[in-house]
Amino acid sequence: MAERSVAHATFSLQRTYDSPPAKVFKAFADPAIKRSWFAEGEGWEIEEFVADFKVGGYERSCFRFRGGTPIRNDTTYHDIVPNERIILGYVMTIGENRISASLATIVFKPAGAGTELIFTEQGAFLDGLDTAGPREAGWRDLLEALGKALKR
Amino acid sequence: MIERSATHGTFAIERVYDASPARVFKAWADPEAKARWFVGPADWQLLARSIDFRIGGEEHLSGRRTDFVSTFDGFYHDIVPDQRIIYSYDMHLDQRHISVSLATVEFRPDGAGTRLIFTEQAVFLDGYDDAGGRERGTRILLEQLGAELQRQAGASQ
Repeated sequence: MAERSVAHATFSLQRTYDSPPAKVFKAFADPAIKRSWFAEGEGWEIEEFVADFKVGGYERSCFRFRGGTPIRNDTTYHDIVPNERIILGYVMTIGENRISASLATIVFKPAGAGTELIFTEQGAFLDGLDTAGPREAGWRDLLEALGKALKR
Repeated sequence: MIERSATHGTFAIERVYDASPARVFKAWADPEAKARWFVGPADWQLLARSIDFRIGGEEHLSGRRTDFVSTFDGFYHDIVPDQRIIYSYDMHLDQRHISVSLATVEFRPDGAGTRLIFTEQAVFLDGYDDAGGRERGTRILLEQLGAELQRQAGASQ
């Protein structure tokens, strides 16, 4: 039986993009664009990616890295203010084990002609299976990938 | 136009109950038991309640207070029987979305009883000034849970 534990942590990341808030927001709101930076990548096989971007809507994705254990993301959208804010809850599962439950707040602010994005995660990391450090590093990479997608 | 803001905060409350983890967990998992303690203050009147207690299930509760209607919309993310419940939830006052929270409820054996640890990670929205109200309200709910557990113990004697 798994030893149960919960480690709560909060971290915040800030990035500035050259694109206006409407374009950065769209990269989260449009499932095809979000899939391109959030799920696709060298070595990743996407088994599922479905997004229903509305308050109360769900997003589900499942992917494997080079044939490894399936990793699931189950997201619930709590708050959407077009071009300004998204708040979502999400659970990460590896194989059969839920490794975290989190709230993510994504704020989009005009910064000159571009956008300042502030990403805040309030996480509950479960049963010693994950911690805030790797999660923060993962989101740094994702926000980097988002920057590249905005330039395409 | 609404001035947008998002203010993050966390609080944790610990309570020890003279009831086994299985009984305390059941007071959250059983809709009839939860309906007896998960209620608003004296001026609160129930408008609607539903609970689908399973991972991926939703819970909804709305009630009328003297000056406004409060609405709770919860989503269950993690359930480990007798040990843990994690849900996220939205609160609305009338149409105003005042907060989104992640709540973790841990049930740990403590002698013959249970140590309950409630942790809330919250985002308060658009200038809503919580001023500690959520934590105070949650303490009252956990008192009401304790009273419900005592009633159950009395009824079974």
